Amino acid sequence: MILIHIALRNLLSHKVKSSIVGGLLVFGTLLVVLGQSLLGSLDRSMSTSIVNSMSGHIQVYSKDAKDPLALFGGMGGGNEIGHLSDFPKIRKTIEALPGVAAVVPMGIDQAVVFGGNILDVQLEQLRAAEKAKDRRRILTLRAHVRRIVGMLENELKNLKGFTDESRLTEEMRQGIRDLPGVVADAFWDSFDADPLGHLEVLENKIAKLAIGEDMFFLRYIGTDTERFRKVFDRFEMVDGMPIPPGQRGFLFNKLTYEEQVKHKTARRLDKMKDRMAEGFAIAKDEELQQAIKLNRSQYKEITYQLDDDAAALVRAAVQKELGSTEAALEKLVDAFMNMDDSNFARRYKVFYDVVAPKLRLYAVRVGDTMTINGMTQSGYSTSVNVKVYGTFRFRSLDRSALAGSANITDLMTYRDLFGFMTADKRSEIEQLQKDSGIKQVTREDAEADLFGGAAGEEVTDTTGVTPTDAPAAATPASLAATAPPADNARTFAASLQQRVYSQDDIDSGIVRNAAIMLKPGENERDLMQRIKDLNDREKLGLQVVDWRTASGIVGQFVGVIYAVLATSILVIFIVALVIMNNSMVMATMERTREIGTMRAIGAQRSEILKMFVVEALVMAVVFGSAGCAIAGAIVTWLGQVGIVARNDFMIFLFAGPRLHPFLSLTHIVVAFVVVFLVTLISTLYPALLATRITPLAAMQDAE
Amino acid sequence: MNQRMSIVRLQQVDKDYHLGKVIVPALRQIDLDIAAGEFTVIAGPSGSGKTTLLNLIGCVDIATQGTVSVDGHDTAKLTERELTRLRLERLGFIFQSFNLVGVLDAFQNVEFPLLLQRKLGKAERRERVMDLLKAVGIDSHAHHRPNELSGGQRQRVAIARALVTQPRIVLADEPTANLDSATGNAIVDLMEKLNSQGTTFLFSTHDPRVVGRAGRVVRMVDGRIVLPGAETAASLSTQA
Repeated sequence: MILIHIALRNLLSHKVKSSIVGGLLVFGTLLVVLGQSLLGSLDRSMSTSIVNSMSGHIQVYSKDAKDPLALFGGMGGGNEIGHLSDFPKIRKTIEALPGVAAVVPMGIDQAVVFGGNILDVQLEQLRAAEKAKDRRRILTLRAHVRRIVGMLENELKNLKGFTDESRLTEEMRQGIRDLPGVVADAFWDSFDADPLGHLEVLENKIAKLAIGEDMFFLRYIGTDTERFRKVFDRFEMVDGMPIPPGQRGFLFNKLTYEEQVKHKTARRLDKMKDRMAEGFAIAKDEELQQAIKLNRSQYKEITYQLDDDAAALVRAAVQKELGSTEAALEKLVDAFMNMDDSNFARRYKVFYDVVAPKLRLYAVRVGDTMTINGMTQSGYSTSVNVKVYGTFRFRSLDRSALAGSANITDLMTYRDLFGFMTADKRSEIEQLQKDSGIKQVTREDAEADLFGGAAGEEVTDTTGVTPTDAPAAATPASLAATAPPADNARTFAASLQQRVYSQDDIDSGIVRNAAIMLKPGENERDLMQRIKDLNDREKLGLQVVDWRTASGIVGQFVGVIYAVLATSILVIFIVALVIMNNSMVMATMERTREIGTMRAIGAQRSEILKMFVVEALVMAVVFGSAGCAIAGAIVTWLGQVGIVARNDFMIFLFAGPRLHPFLSLTHIVVAFVVVFLVTLISTLYPALLATRITPLAAMQDAE
Repeated sequence: MNQRMSIVRLQQVDKDYHLGKVIVPALRQIDLDIAAGEFTVIAGPSGSGKTTLLNLIGCVDIATQGTVSVDGHDTAKLTERELTRLRLERLGFIFQSFNLVGVLDAFQNVEFPLLLQRKLGKAERRERVMDLLKAVGIDSHAHHRPNELSGGQRQRVAIARALVTQPRIVLADEPTANLDSATGNAIVDLMEKLNSQGTTFLFSTHDPRVVGRAGRVVRMVDGRIVLPGAETAASLSTQA
């Protein structure tokens, strides 16, 4: 008791030492508690983001994978993660484990979609008008197409001096040669005589010359869409409808849809609006000024899309807004886009009320069928037509680019794109072969076949079929019912859109990885071990990783921050240690006579050591508690108001627009352990010095 | 010479200090016996070796040569731990600058050696400490810290601390040096009174008035005892 008393009294009487050491300890404790709390909350929010949007708690993929699984992309960029050889068995076995809620099959890949250029769009509309024999519309659209073709010719003339013609394809060169004929009056005068023939010329020869074709890259998850929707609670539809169970289809992530598929000018205006809502002003912000510059220079994004009727409407509205009598639409749009802080809100409204309805606001619309161009695993390009059913978002991650880059398609489409032979693909190829009279031969038989050998009529599939993925079971009865018509492969493709696949069809093809979702409250680590054991026992051929590992570099982000934080705390404590050690050595020197006296009147060295240790512990308790209390108050406050996510990445990390940190007992315990250790270590040397003080020191001022 | 049993015995004691390569002789050929119940003064000018002699007797330093025995223990043969224990159990110290622990009050300062001894319970400790504080006339200031006490009061607390373990001998190094003469006299009165109750005192001083009140005077010059033992205080003071 007396030692604690001496320690407490010493704290009060050595004010300089106490305030230095105390300040450091309070700051250190604060840092440890705050750091842990923030990272703990970050880890939890990230887990919410990642686990409940697409990774599940645990991911499994082939043990033969060459690259590590990286759901959000990794450093290496490799995607050779192999495939799961027997998904139905894997699913059945793992789902039988208590604690496992669901196993969702997946495959992740990237593809390109061409949005079609403005000429394509106008020609499509013209074709529709011709079909509907809507004379007024036909004439308006023809005039518009003629104007675009005229502008195209001018552009190409201007371009001629700059472009190395040898780099153009033969098709392009032919198109350039054909262009004058198409611009000529004669072509348009004879349009009525053969509208479809003229359209063919425009579509096949001229449209491909039009530059500025929209092309966007899509990252997509091929999955059992129905299961995905049910298992991942962050998933929610925004527009359209979910892909009907068992059918093919594509869902755009709302963010991708807005960022990539939306009309560029409209998108820029949206972003400007968001940015201005955050308090930025056009007058001062370079980013906003840059957006205005782009909107002005790219006025053609708007004017090209407007036929005469639309142009008249837009012209009137813009003239009214500008108070101008200017007739040239280009000049009007340019002036309209030259916005400032005072007129932005009004013009934004005019744009969406008058201009936007006349534009093709999204290159691909909900309900459209789009062509996805992928690259098969063996390096061939492949394309699949798929219907866009709608857009979705991962709840509260709407603005996160990382979560927003994942689109969703069904497993069948995924397998087609990835080049896995599916039953459909096989029928399609067979149909094409039958239609064209081509038969496929093996390399060995080629010579005999060519030179009239005895090779049979047997058709051999050499298209890179993965043997495990050519199951007879995958040719369901439904396939026969909707067998491809003999004459037209396009109709066959269309029929695929309507086909409903059974759960068996979905499961029993190639799956590249699978997400395992646990039941609420299950211990991730325990279950992971049980799945690993199961994998060994049942020889499932899996690698089992947690969501952090599976999400690649993103998942390890918290680990990285932990390392950074731990290092900074370590550095701070080393500095603190040195300072504390010094100030305590000084304090010990000041107390030489006191300690000498204690030794003289009978205190053993061990008791002096004990006194110092008790003093250290008292300091740790007092200042550690103070640090914890302050940190606790800060965390509680932050927990209430939340930390605002400043950018997309932070939104993803925070699993929403704000992070609400929480405090746990572990954080406090760890902080105390750290503070105790640091205090004890810094006390060690001064304490040793103190024990070396002899009783003679008590007499130092005598004689 | 006192015929009672001696508590302290020094035989042919030399003490050297090493200042770099120079050896400074502090004590030479000291022979001294202190018997129980004595009230002995070691007198002499500064640098005569009074404090060194007290340090050897107080077991806080070891003789270079000769034998120092305290309460029957040859101090040269004891370990440091044993010497500390000996100080705690058999000796009491009174310092020139009082040397109280500044962060403890008067009561706690006096209680401190008892806590180190771990022999008495809380109530007994309290009783003994309060008795002593009363005996030295400072009980009303029991809960004052040293900086709230006058020099004389502090020295009274120091005396109480020295006596609280009921030591065989109390060593006091210039106990009145930092006190005015009236207070110094009062302190010597107190020590005389305690001596009359049976406590052995040995203290160093170069204050002639204090020397005059000693039962026995050991006079030192240049590290040697020049007038051992039997002279009366009166004769000494006239010589001084």
